[in-house]
Amino acid sequence: MKFKKNITVTYIPITILASLLISACSSSENASVRKSGAQIWGQSCVRCHNAPSPTTFSDMQWETIGQHMRIRANLTSKQAEKVVEFLKMAN
Amino acid sequence: MKYLKVNILLLLLFCLTSFSNAQTKEEVTALKKEVMKYKPGTSTFLLRGYAHSGLEIQNDNSTFVGGSFNPIFLWRQSSKLLFESELELELEDGETIINLEYANMSYFINDYITLRLGKFLIPFGTFSERLHPRWINRLPSNPLGFTHAEQVGPSSQVGIELRGAFDVMPEREINYSIYLVNGPNLNDGSEEPEEAGKLHYDNFEDNNKNKTIGGRIGVLPLADATLEIGISGQFGTVGNSNSEYQNVKAQLYSIDLSYVKNINFLKSIIDLKTQWNKVEVDKANYIMEDGQQERYTFDNRSEAYYAQLSIKPAFVKNKIFSHLEFVGRYSKLILPTKAVWGNKKTQFAFGINYWLDWRTVIKLGYQTTSITNKKNSPTTDSFMLHWSLGF
Repeated sequence: MKFKKNITVTYIPITILASLLISACSSSENASVRKSGAQIWGQSCVRCHNAPSPTTFSDMQWETIGQHMRIRANLTSKQAEKVVEFLKMAN
Repeated sequence: MKYLKVNILLLLLFCLTSFSNAQTKEEVTALKKEVMKYKPGTSTFLLRGYAHSGLEIQNDNSTFVGGSFNPIFLWRQSSKLLFESELELELEDGETIINLEYANMSYFINDYITLRLGKFLIPFGTFSERLHPRWINRLPSNPLGFTHAEQVGPSSQVGIELRGAFDVMPEREINYSIYLVNGPNLNDGSEEPEEAGKLHYDNFEDNNKNKTIGGRIGVLPLADATLEIGISGQFGTVGNSNSEYQNVKAQLYSIDLSYVKNINFLKSIIDLKTQWNKVEVDKANYIMEDGQQERYTFDNRSEAYYAQLSIKPAFVKNKIFSHLEFVGRYSKLILPTKAVWGNKKTQFAFGINYWLDWRTVIKLGYQTTSITNKKNSPTTDSFMLHWSLGF
């Protein structure tokens, strides 16, 4: 019984999350456009580690690292693309 | 006659120009061929990772530690598909230990959803998934309850996951993860009575038909993305099938918080991290440690939490001072006191770091750990000097 309650407790946030996901998709693009790649780089990377120096890796390497960090740091594709573009431009 | 000469000269000039153009075109074509040899394909392989080593002094003993090396293999098959894997190679008790930290493939379904399959780091809080690498962890040690030896909550498991992020309103973000994994398994004490009731998280082949469901929701409520608050949960059956423990279930919860901000008047970056983990396992009867027929039971609840604050005066003019970082951490571990493996520990840890560059650090740390459920409350003091780098 307790376990069933816990499962219910899990499903409620999942349902809310799914609703938010659907409703947010349209506004996501507009919001992502507002922040530059440099801003996202300065805000997202430092949540875990120091912001990386753009010169550390080549353009191709940043593409791969961008994908890796999109997963690890839970970035949207727009955010990841912007950070990678900034790093490629600044390296 | 005069016009004839001019015409011949023009003809010669035309021939020379044409010849020169042809030669240039040939050179350009050859150059293009040469460049094309080095044109990158859509697939890319990249080796990254981290390493550390150091010296530790604990009470009357001192020892060099580490020499650990964690290569991370990244294979970008295309813009939609990524394979990632991490190995951990380290020396432990005179032996070389090789662990597969994770190995999984991710498929980017769309801008907001990524599908991941394989063995992956579990987003149960943030420490195990994001903060545990030695060059990211601000102190030489992990908080109590976040180590392999005394673990309250999972670190990596095998299964399937959906994850992603999106904006809920302008410049406010939510990230999420929902997963289905084999889940932890219960040590019923039949082979190791001293560990009866303990959860083992390295359950890479399931011990029952039930799959464990879990997830994390992270909210970034501020426009400058300095604050992140996360809630995680994991629920599933942990007992072995066809045993008296087959209905024993476990509920795991976690709350995490991260706040990273540039403080202008201090010319510093402050970084606050905190996480609270709780594990509840259904009551069950276990065999006594001395092999008697008598059974015993206990409230199987474990807790671990920590709070860590670091200050890095990165914007001061003095070059040496700007590379320093000061860290303090409090952590607590509460394991069920009536279990054979029960314990209560408290730890204070302090450290000074010197960053050689953005991913290389020398860490000097001191920590004092006390066992608080014993009368004499024995204390262990440690000094640690570590060198860590990410690559």
